[in-house]
Amino acid sequence: MTVLYGVITGVLAATGVYLLLSRTILRVVLGLAFVSYAANLAILGAGGLTLNAPPLLSLRGPHVDPLPQALILTAIVIGFGTTALLLTLAVRTYQATGRDDVARFDDELNELGGDLDDPAADPEHPTNPEEFHPEDYADGPVIAAETALTPEAEKEKS
Amino acid sequence: MNAVVLPVVVPLAAAILLLFVRHASVRWWLSLGASLLTLAVSALLLPATLRGEVLVSALGDWPAPWGIQIVADALSAVTLTASAITAVLAVTLSRPTVDSRRERFGHHALLQFLFTGVNLSFLTGDLFNLFVAFEVTLVASYALVTLGGAVGQLREGFRYVVFNLLVSALFVVGAGLSYGLLGTLNFAHLAERVAALGPTPAVTALALLLMTVFATKTALFPLAFWLPGSYPEPPPATGAFFAAVLTKVGAYALIRVFSTVFTSEPDVTGPALMALGGLTVLVGALGALSQRTWRAILSFTVVGSVGFLAFGLGLGSEAGLAATVFYLLSSVVVTFTLFAVAAWAERASLQEETRVGGALEVAPWLAGGFMAGLLGMVGLPPTSGFVGKFGLVLAGAREGGWLAWLGVAAMLVSSLVTLVALVTVWRRFFWGEVCLPRRPGVPPSLTVTVAAAVALTVLLAAFSGPVYRAASVTAAQLATPDVYVRGVLRGGETP
Repeated sequence: MTVLYGVITGVLAATGVYLLLSRTILRVVLGLAFVSYAANLAILGAGGLTLNAPPLLSLRGPHVDPLPQALILTAIVIGFGTTALLLTLAVRTYQATGRDDVARFDDELNELGGDLDDPAADPEHPTNPEEFHPEDYADGPVIAAETALTPEAEKEKS
Repeated sequence: MNAVVLPVVVPLAAAILLLFVRHASVRWWLSLGASLLTLAVSALLLPATLRGEVLVSALGDWPAPWGIQIVADALSAVTLTASAITAVLAVTLSRPTVDSRRERFGHHALLQFLFTGVNLSFLTGDLFNLFVAFEVTLVASYALVTLGGAVGQLREGFRYVVFNLLVSALFVVGAGLSYGLLGTLNFAHLAERVAALGPTPAVTALALLLMTVFATKTALFPLAFWLPGSYPEPPPATGAFFAAVLTKVGAYALIRVFSTVFTSEPDVTGPALMALGGLTVLVGALGALSQRTWRAILSFTVVGSVGFLAFGLGLGSEAGLAATVFYLLSSVVVTFTLFAVAAWAERASLQEETRVGGALEVAPWLAGGFMAGLLGMVGLPPTSGFVGKFGLVLAGAREGGWLAWLGVAAMLVSSLVTLVALVTVWRRFFWGEVCLPRRPGVPPSLTVTVAAAVALTVLLAAFSGPVYRAASVTAAQLATPDVYVRGVLRGGETP
């Protein structure tokens, strides 16, 4: 059983790493999910595998060590949060760059002739500077970086 | 001794409170007050720990190997205090450099969550809680790196988050394996069992796995490529705190794990750390030479400075550890100062590139501050950087062996290259014709923060003696892990 378990964990980790190495944002996110599942299974395996042994004292023994399961529970909760964050980030990145290709973030921006830190490289995105009205976004998510330019400083510079 | 928990509780409470405060100025004052309070409760731990006591708080009163321990020894206390000082400066730097939208979307609350995670990393007494603390730190840092959603932030932030999540998965596996192998997660208990077991291949492999994890968080050479891209992207206040403290959290974990816990096979772990450190200092210095913008140059010098820490730790001698701890403190302060100077320069010149010219006439005091930071980073007398690097070179020379000598050579070469890189900044920004406006549009609060950071650098240089003595005490405590083990497992009975 341990060998089979180990193989499964390994396959999961391999799948995750394979997906991580691809260039599509969503695959990278899925790859990370696979890797974290593999990590959780690895903890369970490292803690020792037993059949028909509950981790609860209220049930009849023999009992299994509950600590690895507690560790996994914590790791799952943290993994859940970080995956949610990563998905949000992926969506925002897609919207801002108009690309779901990690490796082409830079090329795409260069092709558009824009500055890399231009807040909206996607011409159709609502944050495109030409149509950007800060008051429309007063209560929305933070989108564009405000620059440090004050009118009088700009005048002095020129 | 429940005061040990306070450096974690204060920022956590402040962070939660900050989520409900509606006025921007109230938020700022609250954040500043909480940071000052954190600094006070952190500094309170110093006297007792530097006397050699190990302060322990058992959460829920569960005894040592079973419950969760919050432990403060000298290393925890000094790193905690250094990070708390930087936290206060980061909050003050937030006022002029973080725009109102980022501020409104929780910049200060996130900063306080970040401080919570950092302080918990310094204080936790077991491996799994170290993982949790790292995650708290990282989740807050993910949000801070990408808060604002500029394209550069999203691009670099995505890489930063993905890479760090992958390494976190490795960390969990490491924690699980160490429980499987040694049956415990408590540092003190682990140390006892590792010592009893002697050199074992499985334990050494586990140590190397954890070294990989912490080397990534510290940004040592082959695993450092995420840092120079991501640190310049968020606003200066965030970037400065990241650069000054976050890499040092990884360095703290390395020191803790390899001086207290996995001490059974120094022949493997020591040279590995020395080699990584030696390569890192070179890569950091050369990278700094290749960049043209303020914060990209400084981010590479951060990579270089953590290399020194890894090298000093790899030496394994008490002198090496003392120099490492001192250099850690010095590099926290110096890095923050340089980033603050960069924030001022960027605001005054309205660009990120250093090629402006003439700042020496417009802001001579800033030139002085930059020079203090430059000397501290390069390690020229009379600054604290010199004291730290001199200690490291001396410890390396005493250690002997070809690897130690190579490391010493790498440190000296990299210091020279860093000098060239930073003097280039000096030449481009401070010398030449005056291109800056005579009265640059810099808010006074930014000027005050920069001045405070510079003053701190100068003070650290002036008081290098007492600080180095504290570092030596810390190193002496680390060299005898028995004190820590006894302190945690047997309720603080110190010899």
